[in-house]
Amino acid sequence: MHVPGPLSSKWTAYLGLLSALSAAFAPAVAVKEHDFKKCHQSGFCSRNRAFADHALASSSWQSPYNIAPESGSFRDGQYKGVILKTINDNGETVRLPITISFLESGTARVTVDEEKRQKGEIELRHGSKARKERYNEAERWVIVGGTTLDKAAKVDYEDKSQLTVKYGPSAKFEATIKFFPFSIDFKRDGSSQIKLNDQGLLNIEHWRPKVEKPAPEKKEGESDEENKTEETKEEPKAENESTWWDETFGGNTDTKPRGPESVALDISFVGYEHVYGIPSHASPLSLKQTRGGDGNYQEPYRLYNADVFEYILDSPMTLYGSIPFMQAHRKDSAVGVFWLNAAETWVDITKGKDYKNPLSLGTKSKTSTHTHWISESGLLDVFVFLGPTPKDLTAKYGELTGTTAMPQEFSLGYHQCRWNYVSDDDVKDVDRKMDKFKMPYDVIWLDIEYTDEKKYFTWDKHSFTDPIGMGKQLDSHGRKLVTIIDPHIKNVDNYPVVAELKSKDLAVKNKDGNIFEGWCWPGSSHWIDAFSPAAREWWASLFKYDAFKGTMENTWIWNDMNEPSVFNGPETTMPKDNLHAGNWEHRDVHNLNGMTFQNATYHALTSRKPGELRRPFVLTRAFFAGSQRVGAMWTGDNQAAWDHLAASIPMVLSQGIAGFPFAGADVGGFFGNPEKELLTRWYQAGAFYPFFRGHAHIDARRREPYLVGEPYTTIIAAALRLRYSLLPSWYTAFRHAHIDGTPIVKPMFYTHPSEEAGFAVDDQFFVGNTGLLAKPVTEKDKTTVDVWIPDAEVYYDYFTYYIIPTAKGKNVTLDAPMEKVPLLMRGGHVFARRDVPRRSSALMKWDDYTLVVAVGRDGRKAEGDLYVDDGDSYQYQSGQYIHRRFIFDGAAKSLSSVDAEGREPGSVAEGEWLKRMRGVGVDRIVLVGVPESWVGKKSVKVESEGNVWEAKMEVTPAAEGRAAFAVVRKVGVRIGADWRVVF
Amino acid sequence: MRRTGALALLSALAHSTLAAAESLPRGVGPEFAKFYTSKSTFTCIGNPSIILEPSQVNDDSCDCPDGSDEPGTAACAHIDPLSPEQPLPGSLTGTTNATNALPGFWCSNAGHVGSYIPFLYVNDGVCDYELCCDGSDESAHVGGVQCENRCDAIGKDHRRLEEERRQNKERSAKRRRTLVKEAREQRRRVEAKLGALKAELEGLEHKKADLQKRYEDIERSERNSMVKVKGQGGKLEILVNLAKNRISELRNALDKVLDQRDDLQDRVEQLEEILTKLKDEYNPNFNDEGVKAAVKSWEDYAAGQAGETKSDNLPDEDIMEMLKEDGETFGINWAEFESSDASDVDVVYNWEAYLPRPVNDFIREKINALRIWAMDNGILADNRSGANSESRQLTAAREALEAAKGDILSKTRSLEEQQRDLEKDYGPGDIFRALKGKCISSDVGEYEYELCWIDRTTQKSKKGHGNTNMGNFVRIDKDMADEEERADGKSLGKGERMVLRYENGQGCWNGPNRRTDVWLACAETDELWRVSESEKCVYRMEVGTPAACEDLQEPGPSVKDEL
Repeated sequence: MHVPGPLSSKWTAYLGLLSALSAAFAPAVAVKEHDFKKCHQSGFCSRNRAFADHALASSSWQSPYNIAPESGSFRDGQYKGVILKTINDNGETVRLPITISFLESGTARVTVDEEKRQKGEIELRHGSKARKERYNEAERWVIVGGTTLDKAAKVDYEDKSQLTVKYGPSAKFEATIKFFPFSIDFKRDGSSQIKLNDQGLLNIEHWRPKVEKPAPEKKEGESDEENKTEETKEEPKAENESTWWDETFGGNTDTKPRGPESVALDISFVGYEHVYGIPSHASPLSLKQTRGGDGNYQEPYRLYNADVFEYILDSPMTLYGSIPFMQAHRKDSAVGVFWLNAAETWVDITKGKDYKNPLSLGTKSKTSTHTHWISESGLLDVFVFLGPTPKDLTAKYGELTGTTAMPQEFSLGYHQCRWNYVSDDDVKDVDRKMDKFKMPYDVIWLDIEYTDEKKYFTWDKHSFTDPIGMGKQLDSHGRKLVTIIDPHIKNVDNYPVVAELKSKDLAVKNKDGNIFEGWCWPGSSHWIDAFSPAAREWWASLFKYDAFKGTMENTWIWNDMNEPSVFNGPETTMPKDNLHAGNWEHRDVHNLNGMTFQNATYHALTSRKPGELRRPFVLTRAFFAGSQRVGAMWTGDNQAAWDHLAASIPMVLSQGIAGFPFAGADVGGFFGNPEKELLTRWYQAGAFYPFFRGHAHIDARRREPYLVGEPYTTIIAAALRLRYSLLPSWYTAFRHAHIDGTPIVKPMFYTHPSEEAGFAVDDQFFVGNTGLLAKPVTEKDKTTVDVWIPDAEVYYDYFTYYIIPTAKGKNVTLDAPMEKVPLLMRGGHVFARRDVPRRSSALMKWDDYTLVVAVGRDGRKAEGDLYVDDGDSYQYQSGQYIHRRFIFDGAAKSLSSVDAEGREPGSVAEGEWLKRMRGVGVDRIVLVGVPESWVGKKSVKVESEGNVWEAKMEVTPAAEGRAAFAVVRKVGVRIGADWRVVF
Repeated sequence: MRRTGALALLSALAHSTLAAAESLPRGVGPEFAKFYTSKSTFTCIGNPSIILEPSQVNDDSCDCPDGSDEPGTAACAHIDPLSPEQPLPGSLTGTTNATNALPGFWCSNAGHVGSYIPFLYVNDGVCDYELCCDGSDESAHVGGVQCENRCDAIGKDHRRLEEERRQNKERSAKRRRTLVKEAREQRRRVEAKLGALKAELEGLEHKKADLQKRYEDIERSERNSMVKVKGQGGKLEILVNLAKNRISELRNALDKVLDQRDDLQDRVEQLEEILTKLKDEYNPNFNDEGVKAAVKSWEDYAAGQAGETKSDNLPDEDIMEMLKEDGETFGINWAEFESSDASDVDVVYNWEAYLPRPVNDFIREKINALRIWAMDNGILADNRSGANSESRQLTAAREALEAAKGDILSKTRSLEEQQRDLEKDYGPGDIFRALKGKCISSDVGEYEYELCWIDRTTQKSKKGHGNTNMGNFVRIDKDMADEEERADGKSLGKGERMVLRYENGQGCWNGPNRRTDVWLACAETDELWRVSESEKCVYRMEVGTPAACEDLQEPGPSVKDEL
C-alpha cells in the first residue's frame, strides 16, 4: 500500500472504525449485552478506571496512601498499622487500619478497613437502616481454615520507611512493606513475585457527608443527560461525583445511602505472562487483557452474579457465579491472589514488558501481568499465595475456602434433565426407555413445571399425581430424582410457605426495611434471606420428608435463580440497597447470596429424617468461593451451538483450578435444537465433564439420547458407557479434590508447569491421575483433532492400544470419526474401571474391577490409585474406605497393590460396607505396552493374603502400530487386600 | 382319556427339561443346551479353537471372545456393540464391539414363561422379577440381595391378566364388529345417497332442459309483447317496490353487520384479555424481542384506548329501532303506496291510439322487429331484465330454470362430496366411518381436551380463555408403540399401533403450529386415556377404542370387502 496523504489516512481510519463498529454490533452479539453494565455505566468502576488512567498517564503520580510508621507493630506473625490516606491539598487524612497476617500455610493476608466506619462515626442518608461498618463477614461464609498465624514469621529488616518479614516454609517467602507510599513486594527465594500497589492504584473511597451544591444553571434545551456528561468531561481535574450518591441503570435507581465506598488495588505479577481463574466467564482459560488492543477486551472481567440468559462467548462479561481467585503462571512457577470481597467486582488485566527495573537492562526483559481489582464496597481483603506449583495454589486455596465435598457417588453418573418432564408418567417412560436402549443413567430431573403453579414444595396435582410411585420406580434401579427449588417464594394466598416466610420475618427486605417484593417465575415473589440463621432453620424444616410430601430418600435438590434472579430488578437481580440479616446491604453480599442459599439447602438435606446421615446433592447456578463445599455447579443457560460446546471446556477447566471442580455445561445446549452431530459430540465431551447432565429448554424438541436415531444412538450409548466404566477413576479424582483441592480435570499448565507451549492450551485435559488425556471434538464435520503432547512419555490410543507417534511439545493429529472421542492413555499410569455396562452406578457397586496398566516408556514404572467408599454416607470419615495404590514395576515384572495411605491391614474395624466389599475383587488386569518378551507367557503368579496361585494371561504381540498387550483373567484378588502379581 | 394322556406327557416333558436344566450351567437357554453338555471341556461356541476347563464356565471371568463361557454371569456383558471398544483378539471384529454368542441370561421361570434377560441385569443386586420371576438372575447375592422365586404368584397373576385381556379383546372385537357393521351401513348409505343423487341429477338435467326451452319460448314471445305489455303499475309503484326491496335488503345487511360487530367485539375482548395476561405474565427476562415488541405495542394500544373518549357510536337502541319491520304504526307504511293506482307510465304508449289501425299495426311490427334486432345486436339496451318490466309468466319460467340450475349445482357438489368421502381413508375396514362426527374428551387440570374423530383435536380452557385447535385430521399412520402394560389395561402396550395425525392447529407463540398424534389402542369403549405435551405444541393423545382392535375372525362367512 502506498503512503496515503493526511486526508486519505483520516478517511481510512474512519472507515476502519466504521467497519470495526459494525462488526462489534453484529446482531447475534448485541442481543443481551446492553442489559448488563459496562464499566463506564458502573460509577465505581469508571471512577477507578479514570483514577488508573490518571495515575498511569502521569510520570509523577504518587499514591496518597502512606503507612504511619509509628502506628505499626509486628507480633505473632501479624503486622498491624494504620494507612493514612491524604484526601486534599491541606494534607487532611483518613485513617485506614491495615492488618497483614502471615499464615502457617505460607499464605499472606492483607486487610484494610476504615476507622470511622468501624466506629460507626458516619451518617447514612435517607434514614437508611443499613450497617455503618464496611462488610466484614465475608470470611465467616468463605474461610473455613488455614488462618493460623505463622508464629515463626519474623521481621528480617526494618527502618523508618519499610519493613521486611520472612515467613512461610523454610522462610523462603518474604514481604517488604513500604510505607511512603504504601506498597508490598512479595518475594520467593529473593525474587519479586507479586506486588501490591506497585502502580499506585490503591483507592479506598472513604466515607464523606454529601455536600449539597447549588444546582448548575440550565441552559435552555440543554437539559438532557448527554450534555451533562459532556460538561463534566470538560473538567477533568475535578473528581466525577455524578455517581457518588445515586445511580440509575435500566430504569432502576440505587439510593446508595453510604455514598461512594469502593476499594481498589493494583496487583502485579512480576514476570508472569499468564493469569488464570476468576470464573465464571465465557472466555479462554488464560485470561485476556482488558484495556483494548488487538484481540483484547475493552472491558474488565466482571464478577457480579447475574442471570445472564443466552450469554455471549469470548467475553469478560459477568455470568452466574464468581470466584475471585487468580493464578499467575510462568515456567516452573505459579503464584496467586484471592480477593475476598462479595460486592460487585471488576478486574482489569494488562500485560507488558517490565519497565521499572533498571537492573534488568541488558538482560532479556520479561512480560509481567498487571491487574487492577475494583470492588464496590466492603473491606480490602486479599490473600497472597507464593506457590511455587499450581498444585500448591489449589491446595492452599482449598485450605482456606474448603474443598469439594465428597459427592454422592451417583452424582458422577449421567443426569437426564429437561425443562420439563411433564408428568410422573413421562418420567417413568424416560426411565424405561433409557433401559430399553441400554443407556446407563443415574438421575432424572424436574424443572419448575412439576410444581403447582411455581409454588415450591408442592406438586402439580394433575400431572404429578403419584410422585412416590415415580420415586419408587426410579429407586428400583438405584436411580434418583432431582427437583428444583428456587429462592423466590410465590407471593400468593393460601400458600403456607410464603405465609410462614412473612409471619416469621425471614425474607430479604427492601431499603425501607419492608419485605422485598419482586418478580420471578411465579410472578410476584419474596426471597428467603439465607444469610439469616433463623431463615436457614426454617428452610430446613421445609425439606423434611413429611413436610415436602412426595419426596423420598432418593430425592435431591437443584437450586437455580439464586444470583438472585429478579426479573424486574436492576440487571435482572436485586436492588443493591436491599437489606439482609444484620442489616447488611445487598450491595455488600451480592456475590455470596447464591452460596448462602445453596448452603441452606445443603444443610436442610442433612436433616430430613433424624439419624439420616447422608451426603447431600445440591446443584447450584450461582456460586462464590466456598460453594465447592456444598455441591455442584453448571455453567448456566448455554446454547445448542458448536461454539458453546467449545467454550464449555475452558469454562470447566477454569472452575477446576479455581477450587470448584464439580462443574459441567448443559449437554446438548440449553437453548435451541442441536443437530444430531452436535448432540453426539456433546455427549462425547460431556462424558468428561465432572458434572455430566443433558438439559434442554422448554421450547426445544425432545432430545433424550435414545431419540436421536442411528448411528448416533449407538455412539451416545458408547459415550455414556465410557463414562460409567471409568466411574471408579472419576470417583478417585473426586477424592483427591476433596483431600487437597486438586482439580478433577486438569489443564496442561497444571500437569506440566514447565512446558510453556501448553500454558494457553485449554481444549484438552487430563482426567484425575489416570493419565487419560481427552480432547473432545467441538467442531462440525471434524474427523481429526490435533492434540498437543506435553512430554516425552508414550501415549496409547485408549480404544485401540495403538502407540501414538508423539513428540514432546508437538501436536499430533488423531483420527476422530463420529464414533470416536479422542482419548489417549499416557504411559506410566494405572487406573481402575468397571466394565459391566450396568443400568446405573448403584448397580455397579459390587462389580469386580478391571485394572488398566499403561506401561511407561521403555517399560518403566506405572502407578495409580483407586479410592472407594460407600458413596453415600459419612462412614468414610471413620476409615470405612478402600484406597489402594497400584505400582507396576517393569524391572521387577510385578504389579502390586498397597494401601495408599499406609494403613495396616486390619487397622480399621470393618463396617457393613467394607465387609460386603470383601466379595469384590479384581477380575482382569489389562497391561498395554508390555515387552515383546512377554509373548507366549500363559500365566502369572498371584500372591495375596498368604496364598499364592496362578492366573491365566494372554499376551497379544504388537502389530501394525498397536502396542503388545496382556490380559490377566480371573486374577482372584480382593480389591481391598494387599496383593502382588508377578509376570 | 386322551386328555389325561396329553397332560401326563406334558408333565413328563416339564420334568425332563427341569432335569436337564439342573445339569446345565446357570443361564443357558434350551436351544444352547447342547453346547454345555460335556463334562470334561467347554468349547467357546463361536471360537472352537478355544477350549476351556469346565470350571471356567460361569466363573465370573470372561474367557471366550464371544462371551459364551459366561451364560450365567455378567462377566462378558461388555462384549456388546454399545460398549466403548477395546481390543479383543478372537472376536469377530477383533474388539469388544461384537455380538455375544448368547442372546442373554436364560430365566427358565418354571410356572411362568421362560425368557432371556440382558447379561448386564445379572448379579447387579436387583431382582428383575418382571423378566426373571424365579430370581435366578441374582445367584451371586451381591450386596446381600436375595431374590425369592415368585413365579407361582407372578405366573398366576399373568395368566389371570392374560385371560382378562383375552376376554377384553373378545368383547372389544365384538364392539369392533358392530362398528364395522355401522361403518359398512354408513358406507352403504353414502353409496345409496350417491346413487340417488346421480339419478336425481339425471332427472334434474332433463327438467332443466325442459325449463330452458319453456323459458326461451316465453321469452321469445314476450319480446314481441314487450313493448305493449306494461309493467305492473306506474312509475311510482315501481319506485315503491324498488325502495321497499332496497330497504329490506339494507335492513338485513345492517342486521348482519350488527351480528358481525358483536362477534368482533367479543373477539377483541378475548384478544385484549389474552394480551393483558401476556403483559402481566410474560417473562421480561427472556428478552424475546418479539414478545417485548408485542407487549410494548399492547401497552401503547391500551393507553390509547383508555385516553380516547368513546366516539359517538350509534346507540344500539337506535339500530334496533331501525331494524324493526315497517308497518302501519311504524316506519313507512308501504301498503299506502302500493295500493295507489296512478299509472302514468301508460300515458307514454297512448299516442298509438291516435293512429289508423293498419298503420299502427305496421309501425308496431316494424318497430318491434327493429328493437329486437337492435337488442340482439347490442345496439339497444335490453331492459327485459328489469324485474318489474317482466311478465309474471316469464319470471316464473326464469325462476324455475334458475332453481333447477341451482339444484343441479348443489346436487353436483354433494355428489362430489360423497364421492370424496367414499375415497377417503377411514382406516382398515372403513372403521372410522362409524366414529365420524363423534367426539370424546378428557379433563386434565385446567383444560378439557377433546378428540373429534377424523376432524380435529381441541384444548378447551376451563378458565374461559377460549378453545385452542390442536390440529386438524390429516391421515392415518402406523407406528411402533412401546409402553408398559397397566393394570387397568389402559395402555398402548408394545407393537404396531394406528396413529391419527392431526396437524396445522393453532400456531404457537414463536413456534410451529400445534399438532397432535393420536395413538390408538384396542379397548371396549372409546376413551381418551391420556394427553401430554411432551414438547412445546406437540401433543400426544393415548386413546382406547374398539376401532383399533385386531380384526379377529368373525364367526360365519366372511363378508366381501366392499371397497
